[in-house]
Amino acid sequence: MAAPGGWRGALWSRGGGKMAAPMQRGLCGGAGRWRGALGSRCLTAAAASPWRLLGALCLQRPPRITPALSPVQEEMARLVQQIEVEKSHFSDHEIRHLVEEEQLQKKKYNIQDEATDSGQAILLAQDLEDAWEQKFQSFKAGHRLTDADKCNDRTSLNRKLDRNLVLLVKQQVGSQEQWLLPQAEWQAGETLRSTAERVLATLSGNHIRAKFLGNAPCGFYKYKFPKAFRTEDSVGAKIFFFKALLQSDDMLQAERRGEYAWVSKGELGDYLKPDYLKQITSFLMDQ
Amino acid sequence: MLAAACGAARLLSGVRGGAGSSLLSSQLSWTIQFRGNHWQTSMLAFQASLPMRAEPKKKKKVDPKRAQVQKDRMKKKIKKLEKASQEMIPIEDFFTPTKFLDASRVREISPLSFEESERRALLLKKWALYKKIEHDAEMETLKSLMAAQEEALNELRLESEELYQAAIKRDDDLFPYEKEGPSYTPQIPGYEAPEGKCIDVTKVYTH
Repeated sequence: MAAPGGWRGALWSRGGGKMAAPMQRGLCGGAGRWRGALGSRCLTAAAASPWRLLGALCLQRPPRITPALSPVQEEMARLVQQIEVEKSHFSDHEIRHLVEEEQLQKKKYNIQDEATDSGQAILLAQDLEDAWEQKFQSFKAGHRLTDADKCNDRTSLNRKLDRNLVLLVKQQVGSQEQWLLPQAEWQAGETLRSTAERVLATLSGNHIRAKFLGNAPCGFYKYKFPKAFRTEDSVGAKIFFFKALLQSDDMLQAERRGEYAWVSKGELGDYLKPDYLKQITSFLMDQ
Repeated sequence: MLAAACGAARLLSGVRGGAGSSLLSSQLSWTIQFRGNHWQTSMLAFQASLPMRAEPKKKKKVDPKRAQVQKDRMKKKIKKLEKASQEMIPIEDFFTPTKFLDASRVREISPLSFEESERRALLLKKWALYKKIEHDAEMETLKSLMAAQEEALNELRLESEELYQAAIKRDDDLFPYEKEGPSYTPQIPGYEAPEGKCIDVTKVYTH
């Protein structure tokens, strides 16, 4: 059971004893924050919960290149290749190469046999290999380490191509601006997943396409408001995270209001508070 | 038919009763002479030529029947062929073509030195350990992912049963999901692959 973090570092245990009282007072659903609006579909016996619900979006850009091989992996790859070659038979190309080599050897010793040379094939297997090698060299592959990597531009999507990147935004929470996964308050009549989809739409204005991985949340984080902000109906908030994979390649429009960053799992610590970070890292894959 | 021919002659003779007997005989010869072939013995009954007379008389009823009978026989034959077990399509990969079984193809490798075989054995052991550690780490990550989701769903249930039910519904749009995996080097924007032809030589077996 993860310990829910307090806002601004306030410990939850101080407010623990007073949990029961707000729940009883909040029984009447007259305010209709989000309970009353459910109407006839609402369960009868449920007490009005003092937790505000928020849906958040964990948008990930999947890796575009394979990670570099570790030394053990490289050694093993070389060994496997070696064994494969040893256990194989000669291919047609290799046999042709061997035959032509023999002929060349013979030619060296018997220079007088020029009559036989006129009908020979001019293109040797070796020549073919050289031509292929040249063609390969002339192809310029993309660099695995991009410019964004070099200048550590955190807003760019082209950084750290071998890792998952998660979108973080700076949002106003209460009175403070904080770095967190983009979130929005749940509104009555929608599922939490549609809240997350709404978050995506507001972020990008429908420019981004993302594939949501199922209807269920992948994680949650709950915290209590500081005592000054607590009311009968809202003691704290519960944020439910939904994972989505980025499908469209274009980056977020630059005119987005507010700051955003695409960070890998290791860099999350630079932005997020410790309790929030702990909950988030539990549902993110390594790197 | 002969009777009919005689009848025709008699009719004619009856009509031209008043005419001379010479006319009658010439007309009689006329009715008999104008025949299409030596099988056609009467002018009136066109289809009564000898070979056709040998067939059953009511053709319209029986021909479709015969055709139907023929079709049924064909269908039975087809069914028999289909019932017989079909020839299996050979899996090309399972048969080594004979040209690769040639002895001249065999590579001559000198036996491994002691150092080399030792190096290989040690590397394999190191690899086994590495993979075990990797597997354990993967399993831990997956367990953590699943635990996080379970917790989230439990908390959601505490909040609202309805939202919980909506969350555990199967998402039908999720699969089939296709995505291109990562490559060794990133995509070059605006790259045009060189023109080339791919000639597919796979054998296709049809019945």
